[in-house]
Amino acid sequence: MNDTFEDRLLAELKTEMAIRPARAAAPRRMTGRRIFAAAGVLGLAAAAAVAVPMVVGTDTPAYALTKNADGSINLKIHEFRDPDQVERDLAGMGVTADITYLPLGKWCGNLRVTPVDGDHLSMSPEELASEDPAVTEKARKRLLSSISYKAIEMRNGITIHPEYIKPGQVAVIEVAENQVKPTDSPGVVWSVRGHLSAGPAKPCQVVDQPGAFEVGDATPPPGS
Amino acid sequence: MRLKQTGLADIADDPVAFEAFYRRHFEAVTRFLARRVGDPHAVADLTAEVFLAVLDSAHTYRPGKGSEIAWLYGVARNTLLAERRRSARELRANSRIAGRRLLESDDVSRLEDRIDAESPARRAMEAMAGLPENDRALLELVAVDGLSPAEAAAALGIRQGTARVRLHRARRALQQIPGVVPPLVMEGHR
Repeated sequence: MNDTFEDRLLAELKTEMAIRPARAAAPRRMTGRRIFAAAGVLGLAAAAAVAVPMVVGTDTPAYALTKNADGSINLKIHEFRDPDQVERDLAGMGVTADITYLPLGKWCGNLRVTPVDGDHLSMSPEELASEDPAVTEKARKRLLSSISYKAIEMRNGITIHPEYIKPGQVAVIEVAENQVKPTDSPGVVWSVRGHLSAGPAKPCQVVDQPGAFEVGDATPPPGS
Repeated sequence: MRLKQTGLADIADDPVAFEAFYRRHFEAVTRFLARRVGDPHAVADLTAEVFLAVLDSAHTYRPGKGSEIAWLYGVARNTLLAERRRSARELRANSRIAGRRLLESDDVSRLEDRIDAESPARRAMEAMAGLPENDRALLELVAVDGLSPAEAAAALGIRQGTARVRLHRARRALQQIPGVVPPLVMEGHR
């Protein structure tokens, strides 16, 4: 750890910025297309957000991004507590990332990314509302085939695959970590969401996510 | 497209702009505090408080009314005054970020060095302790913190003419106090 009080305080202040109530913005009319796109990204959130039940082990290992032989990069969730450091380290590995670290129960409620080619994130309102397993499974398969999901894989914490990230694209990752270690097993320890953006991400507008503490039917990703 | 008046409003919303502002002024803020507080942990707590206050009040900055640093020293001074009204324990309990928890031993020794380096300034401020509060605040910002009289006026939210009168009065009063080093209190004229 060669960072200083100055760096650590900056990271805390940025977290504070992220969880501050977003300043009231002038209401803007949305076009039909934009509503569709927003719903699509929220749809992806439903499919790709991963709530992780109780993780065993209490010690926090030393900070280290792991670069694998195939060029992919592993990040463990506790490492996101210093989002600036993660951004710098990823930049050193050639990946531009925009990391937002939030307490569990908060979430970015706005569409932050500029969609990239190869993402199929749009879901129709019918698909979002459908309870037909065949329909949701088809939508889920389509989301999982998106480039975003290949580039930011929910495995071993998060596994980033730089080969899917084109120059100029940004890996936008939002992590919400439970500030209280869940005592009831199972409890949600963290929750994560990742998208590619064709350019810089818009600032996070933080909203409450009341259901975040419920495990629901989420399954832990392999390797966590 | 709307012409953008770049004040500091963006720094409360834009992490990149905030980081640039923070890096630009972090050292000045810790020095400002080290001139007024003798304990590294308290300096760390207050540094966190000052930058939180910056986030809360960035929209009050008006570029026309003085430099960034003058505005920032105004924020830092208000933070210190608020802290002196509350007990230190209360401050920590209510703070959103406990600065001292972010300190490691290297940081503590760096802050101690800074506090030591600022000891002449603290002695100068002790010499000013007998001045009326308004005059003292102004003289501190000019003679100890190095602001111009116009910047100090902006930091305190007073008119420049008022500041000149108060500075003149404060300097005259100080010349009669034994032990004050004249060059120190005479700096910052413009």
